[in-house]
Amino acid sequence: MFKLSEDGLKYVKNELTRYETKQSAIIRCLYRAQDENGGWVSPEVIQHLSEVMEIPAAQIEEVATFYTMFNKQKVGRYHVQVCCTLTCGMLGGRELTDAMMKEAGCKKTGETSPDGLFTFSKVECLGSCDTAPMLQINRDPYIESLSTEKAVQLVRDLRAKAKGH
Amino acid sequence: MLKCTLNGREVEVKEGTTIIEAFYQNKIDIAHYCWHPGLSIAGVCRLCMVEIEGNPRLQIACNTVVTEGMKVNNQSAKVKEAVKWGLDFHLINHPLDCPICDQAGECGLQDQYMKYGQYDSEMAEAKQKKHKVVDLGPRVVLDSERCILCSRCVRFTDEVSKTNELGIFNRGDRAEIGTFNGKPLNNKYSLNTVDICPVGALTSKDFRFRQRVWFLKDAETVCTGCSTGCNIKVHYNREGLFRVKPVYNAEVNGHWMCDEGRDVYKFVNKESRLLDARVVSGGKAEHMTAFEAAKRVGEKLKGAGKSVGLVLTGSYTVEEYEAIMSYFKTEVGTDRVFHWINNPESFESFDGLLLRGDRNPNTRGLVQALQKHGFSAQWKELTEALSTGSIQTLVVAGPENQVWFPDFKVKVAELAKATRLVWMTSGKSSALDELKGEVTLIPLKSYIEKSGTFVNHAGRAQSIRPVTSIVKGALSLTEVVSAFRGEALQATEVVVGRSENEIGRGRIHNEFTLSRGAW
Amino acid sequence: MAESKYLTEHYGKPEYQTLEGYKKLGGYQVLEKALKMQPQQIIDEVKASGLRGRGGAGFATGVKWGFLPNNGEPRYLLCNADESEPGTFKDRLMMERAPHQLIEGMIISAFAIKAKKAYIYIRGEYTGPAAILEKAIAEAKAAGYIGKNVLGSGFDMELDLYIGAGAYICGEETGMISSLEGLKGQPKLKPPFPAVQGYLRKPTIVNNVETLAAVTYVIRDGAAGFRKYGTEKSAGTKLFSISGNVNKPGTYEVPLGYKLMDLINIECGGLKPGRKLKAVVPGGSSAPVINAEECERATLDYECLAQMGTMLGSGAIIVIDDSNCMVDVLSTITHFYHHESCGQCTPCREGTGWMEKIVHGIVHGEGKPGDLDLLLKIADNMKGRTICALSDAAALPVLSFVTKFRDEFEYFIREKKSKVRGGQIYAQMHA
Repeated sequence: MFKLSEDGLKYVKNELTRYETKQSAIIRCLYRAQDENGGWVSPEVIQHLSEVMEIPAAQIEEVATFYTMFNKQKVGRYHVQVCCTLTCGMLGGRELTDAMMKEAGCKKTGETSPDGLFTFSKVECLGSCDTAPMLQINRDPYIESLSTEKAVQLVRDLRAKAKGH
Repeated sequence: MLKCTLNGREVEVKEGTTIIEAFYQNKIDIAHYCWHPGLSIAGVCRLCMVEIEGNPRLQIACNTVVTEGMKVNNQSAKVKEAVKWGLDFHLINHPLDCPICDQAGECGLQDQYMKYGQYDSEMAEAKQKKHKVVDLGPRVVLDSERCILCSRCVRFTDEVSKTNELGIFNRGDRAEIGTFNGKPLNNKYSLNTVDICPVGALTSKDFRFRQRVWFLKDAETVCTGCSTGCNIKVHYNREGLFRVKPVYNAEVNGHWMCDEGRDVYKFVNKESRLLDARVVSGGKAEHMTAFEAAKRVGEKLKGAGKSVGLVLTGSYTVEEYEAIMSYFKTEVGTDRVFHWINNPESFESFDGLLLRGDRNPNTRGLVQALQKHGFSAQWKELTEALSTGSIQTLVVAGPENQVWFPDFKVKVAELAKATRLVWMTSGKSSALDELKGEVTLIPLKSYIEKSGTFVNHAGRAQSIRPVTSIVKGALSLTEVVSAFRGEALQATEVVVGRSENEIGRGRIHNEFTLSRGAW
Repeated sequence: MAESKYLTEHYGKPEYQTLEGYKKLGGYQVLEKALKMQPQQIIDEVKASGLRGRGGAGFATGVKWGFLPNNGEPRYLLCNADESEPGTFKDRLMMERAPHQLIEGMIISAFAIKAKKAYIYIRGEYTGPAAILEKAIAEAKAAGYIGKNVLGSGFDMELDLYIGAGAYICGEETGMISSLEGLKGQPKLKPPFPAVQGYLRKPTIVNNVETLAAVTYVIRDGAAGFRKYGTEKSAGTKLFSISGNVNKPGTYEVPLGYKLMDLINIECGGLKPGRKLKAVVPGGSSAPVINAEECERATLDYECLAQMGTMLGSGAIIVIDDSNCMVDVLSTITHFYHHESCGQCTPCREGTGWMEKIVHGIVHGEGKPGDLDLLLKIADNMKGRTICALSDAAALPVLSFVTKFRDEFEYFIREKKSKVRGGQIYAQMHA
């Protein structure tokens, strides 16, 4: 059973009146619920939001499945999204992802590493082609101008940080 | 009114008419899937392409309004090529399910392909895989691979039933129709989505795998499920009826009908019927034809006067009420005619769309006939008369559709207090089988087997005609009255398998096969 | 080219991001001037300036504003900050370095078209720029540039930031409107056009970030002043996002009409040593690719590129040198459109998938002889058949890559490896 925190409920209530119609609040509320649910949108999240926002569940589900930034499956603490389109593709984005995955222990994209820390996705153009290859972790600011070595090191650093070293 | 030219033919249309509506009204064929006259415009299938003189680009007919003097053509080589490719795109990921798909024979893809396709597919890649045999709700099954994402069903649950169960999830060619887990497609109009689905993506659980449609004929009639009187067509063959679909009537039911009305055909098929008459006396049951049984009853009824009572439900035609009421008034000599109202608390209810609480097709006809003949007895008089023995013989007609008379068993027990009970109905029932004492059961014709007139809640008279014969020897109330008198039956009720849409072997048609609409 | 920098003049100064810094460097003075003009004057000035939409379509801004009906209905101004066209990152630079530049342009534009409410629709991945914008909007509100009675002019205006969630199709104006309405970002049928019936069926103007910011400079210098740079049909300067195989990728502001090769060789420091130019995608992935010979002739304006059969588009330039395999490059592009198709229209939904599968097959060494002609036929029949232009945008790269670099595709199919890189192609090295 998923329930938003008290602050979360306040947030949703505020969003519902922020725009001309309450449907417009769905995206921001989904983000909030996703954050409170460990980084993914489960059916319980949709059910809860549907009740709180008084919007049919099918409509919220449509929005949640249409946009890529809502994770419909569980993800690790670091959802690493590496751009692989056009320039980033030409400059090694795909190969870089594979190297990171190998370091993290993920056999394929979408799969979470055994230590629960990393999930990788190859994503479309993030709008940072001049600093290719680059990536985004969760919804944090971009990490740009990478090389395979830097990217692999990034995985090591994040792992160390997570383990409190 | 505006003038425009469609494929060289000049026609007149009202202002604001779209090109596709103009084609439709003038019964000119145009390829389409997502457009439906009862739903909003989606414009997503991209098949209704037309060439408009003066416009270099092809336009979709469903979203383009006719202007004065517009010249439209959907037969040019450019249009045909566009339609062929549009069809191609629809088919590249479509599974080869025809051998097991219920929709075969009335499928939009099959029909449009035969008209506008007939090419060799060049798709050699692996097809997109999606969910199959998805239980959407109590009456509907989904096969996502077959779905062409025309969005008719979603628009239906948004705009018509207003229950919003359906959505289209995911993006691109991963898109699938679905419900949200925990909220199934269970509104009272869910089977309309099966009707409007051009392909076998949404199918009826009730009809699943039961019959190939090319072995079915169709005939138009009126639903007897409630006092709305939706216009319907029944699909049948020698084995009986298989399913029911709505027929468009702007003043009665629009394009739709409710799910419960769909079940009415089950009460008509042999398995649910009283097959012959039965006279029960002194613990012994004698079987005979309905005519014979009615003749015997008639001999006892003649001139019996006020010791006879008649109970009627709103299930019968205007003509039948006239026949039986005249007979009981003049030849039996009683005014003890009672109206059995099945569910007084919800009798006047209306769900806002089509379904009414009065689950009889002709209550108004009955009430009018009662008034005409001056019958005004109340039900409590019947109860009293049965307990005092003032009524010795009770003749009951109905109800049809027993399942919507929740007090059926209770009433049977109550009415069985009569010394002699004559019960006439079309459907069998254990409650009737268990009756003791002097009971005569007479099988009646269902609404599929007779002609007549029903008056719906709004006073609209609609006629039915015999479609086929299910139970040989069953009688309409008019024929029962003839039998009461001992008169031979006239040959007028000979059944003809009438099908307005019958062509050749009587194949049923849908909106895609016919160039004239089948609404 | 320093004197032709309008937008980017102060991008190197960190204080430009704040309201105070922006004002010190001349910010919001044009707003004061504009609020003293008549709205119709501003529209006329923008029309006369020849400013064209900087997001990709290049439609004359003043003309678009003129489509608004006089029916008394409330109007909306929507800023398209969805920037998802592959190769494009210019709007991001502006929102990070100069958020107030966008805000000032929006207030002036809203005043001109009498829109009481404006939204900036920013793509969900741009969390950095979104945070900066939120801060700037708050600053502007506090200073009285947004809200009731802006600077005492009697003009009321609200501005809010709307965040997307990852969908390229939300960059299409009606897709964006659908998304703003809380629906899936699926484009709407046109007619009706947004200027007449847009957001919530009210008259709506959708403009790109750069377009709205440029309005400020049109009002500052007047139409004639704005026309000092650029060409007759492509007035002013433009931000170009240039990336790929160049030494100094980045965002550069140059006058329209500037030579492509100058931008590559001068501003971007040319190609890597020893490499030759093979192709350029001049306007984002949706723009047909041009080969080296065409690049020599190309000037960066709408008409020259249109004449060459391609387009200026968003001004996103991807430079491809001879170390790249065009088949592999196309494979990332077809993957992109397959992923981003909203799925409404059958030709696009199915066609993008089909094309990707074929190219995918080729790049995996499983191509068949008829594949190329089939690709061309599919692409041809995806053009002009759908609700929005994504289908066309998906078809054009396929048509141009296969046509202009057919030899590489045929080689790959025949030899089952890249003509340029042999077996060193991602698809073949990593299963």
